[in-house]
Amino acid sequence: MSVEAVARPKFAEPWKKTNQRSKLIQIIASTVPIGIATAAWLFAGVDLIVSVLLVLLPLQLIAVGIAGFLLKGRRGVPDAALIVMTYFLGTFVMVLLVSVLWSVVEAGFAALSPQFIFQNNVYVTPTTGLEIGGVGHAVIGTLLVVGLSTLVTVPLGVATGVYLTETRGKSRGVIRVLLQAIAGLPSVVAGLFVYSMLIVTGVSAYAGWLGSLALVPLMLPTVARVTEESLRLVPQELRNGALGLGAPSWRAFLMVTLPAAKSGVVTAILLGVARVIGETAPLLTTTFAANNTSINVFDGGLATLPTYIYNYVSLGFDTSIQRAWGAALVLLILVGILFGAARYVSRPKSLKAKKKKEKR
Amino acid sequence: MTIDQFQLEAKDINVWFGERQVLKDVSLQFPSNKVTALIGPSGCGKSTFIRTLNRMHELIPSAGLAGSVLLDGQDIYEEAVDPSTVRLRVGMVFQKPNPFPTMSIKENVISGLKLSGRKNEISDDLVENSLKRASMWNESKDRLDEPALSLSGGQQQRLCIARSLAMNPEVLLMDEPCSALDPGSTRRIEETILELKESMTIVIVTHNMQQAQRVADKTAFFLAEDNQPGYVVEFGETQQVFGMPVDPRTNDYVNGHFG
Repeated sequence: MSVEAVARPKFAEPWKKTNQRSKLIQIIASTVPIGIATAAWLFAGVDLIVSVLLVLLPLQLIAVGIAGFLLKGRRGVPDAALIVMTYFLGTFVMVLLVSVLWSVVEAGFAALSPQFIFQNNVYVTPTTGLEIGGVGHAVIGTLLVVGLSTLVTVPLGVATGVYLTETRGKSRGVIRVLLQAIAGLPSVVAGLFVYSMLIVTGVSAYAGWLGSLALVPLMLPTVARVTEESLRLVPQELRNGALGLGAPSWRAFLMVTLPAAKSGVVTAILLGVARVIGETAPLLTTTFAANNTSINVFDGGLATLPTYIYNYVSLGFDTSIQRAWGAALVLLILVGILFGAARYVSRPKSLKAKKKKEKR
Repeated sequence: MTIDQFQLEAKDINVWFGERQVLKDVSLQFPSNKVTALIGPSGCGKSTFIRTLNRMHELIPSAGLAGSVLLDGQDIYEEAVDPSTVRLRVGMVFQKPNPFPTMSIKENVISGLKLSGRKNEISDDLVENSLKRASMWNESKDRLDEPALSLSGGQQQRLCIARSLAMNPEVLLMDEPCSALDPGSTRRIEETILELKESMTIVIVTHNMQQAQRVADKTAFFLAEDNQPGYVVEFGETQQVFGMPVDPRTNDYVNGHFG
């Protein structure tokens, strides 16, 4: 008796059509419109943006529509329209974001050097060359002002979010409305409020902590609402499980609900920081500016990256504007480092465990 | 023949959600070291009733209640009674397995002690014992530090039972503990229930007639007419309720004619 070799099925993806005709249709539909639009731009002298919007987009819609019709029949046409529009708008947003980032990197890169990041601004005039001085003092100032603000806002904001989800307090509706109202507050008003309440009245001169104070109402709504949303996503079953074991509510919250919402709360804090780290207006009237390095947030003007950028752009000299671009790039890098670090610290436990195992 | 002791007793329980009354004059006595099953069609208030027995009911906004629940003779709804002390003595296993996702298997087992501030009672023996009583030890002994969510649904539910057992409750309430599980897991949980009743009083809500007959000593049949509050139609020995029910509606239900 001979055992015949049985052909084992091979991995396949039959839903991906691969016959020659449909391949050809797909290739034509995706290359011809781009080809025509490129030709119009290069040879017929049509402006690039006009060519993309008025030549590429309609042609692409028609081509993919026809391709959809040939491949799938009538139901393929709306599919095709949706796909083209999604890709087009997605690409559009992507191009926008990348071009903003790129313009900062391109313009700021020339100014960037270890000395620019770590030195302060003493002995620098608007026309001093880029080889002297830097934004080190503003980096420290931004970290101090935003850090102090975060220190104050996070307990307040998280507590507000907890109040909104974990209690049956009667003023929850009012607080939500108030938070929305504060979220719409122009940031310059927050700065002027602190200015008129504490500086004009002589309580304090310009100081870092006044800036932190002005940032609190800007940061609070974001932290509170995002915390609320992330706590709301924790299943009720988990709270019941903890309470059913005889836990007092505060222990159930600290040991079960809050850990389950941890990454959401971290996101809330990050979004809050992101909301204020680039704020300029409220700081101009509170922290003012400085050229020297200072870590005293309670006395004297303090430089921050946004106000530094504002001041150096206002000066209008070539080198001062280059310094402003450099500072913008430093601010971008700083935000990137802060967010990366926060994500790393708050990553899920299971991932940490896995990493450890791999090391072993 | 010994006379049954009643560790837990519900007297004239009426329950509302807002204006709507969902339970009317329910009085049941739960004999010690026996299993009592609550059966009845969906929406008749069984789950609501079982939640009144350890004061989980009041966690629902708009909940209302009249009547009393006596645990060893003391009304758990008396003003001076702290609900969390009631829940320490009357444990609960929920319909959907709800292990704590941020904790490992071991941490889940001892979570009740941590949550009630009794850390000094935590020991490896307790973990092993609780998992053994929930017939989970063999499957989990080599992976105690893995996340609880890496377990299958049936294992998660037995972990939740182990979590309750670690608290050494006097009464265990189970709200359809097997409704999301496969037949194998269901059988193992039923075996666990039969072992557990040696040491505690058990109340179980179930939609499964065979399950009630397999595990329960006593059975209560709940019913609610359209938009009317639910009530107990019949309460007695399981054999009698299924074998020769007094009420014709019970007969119809246990034989699958409605519900």
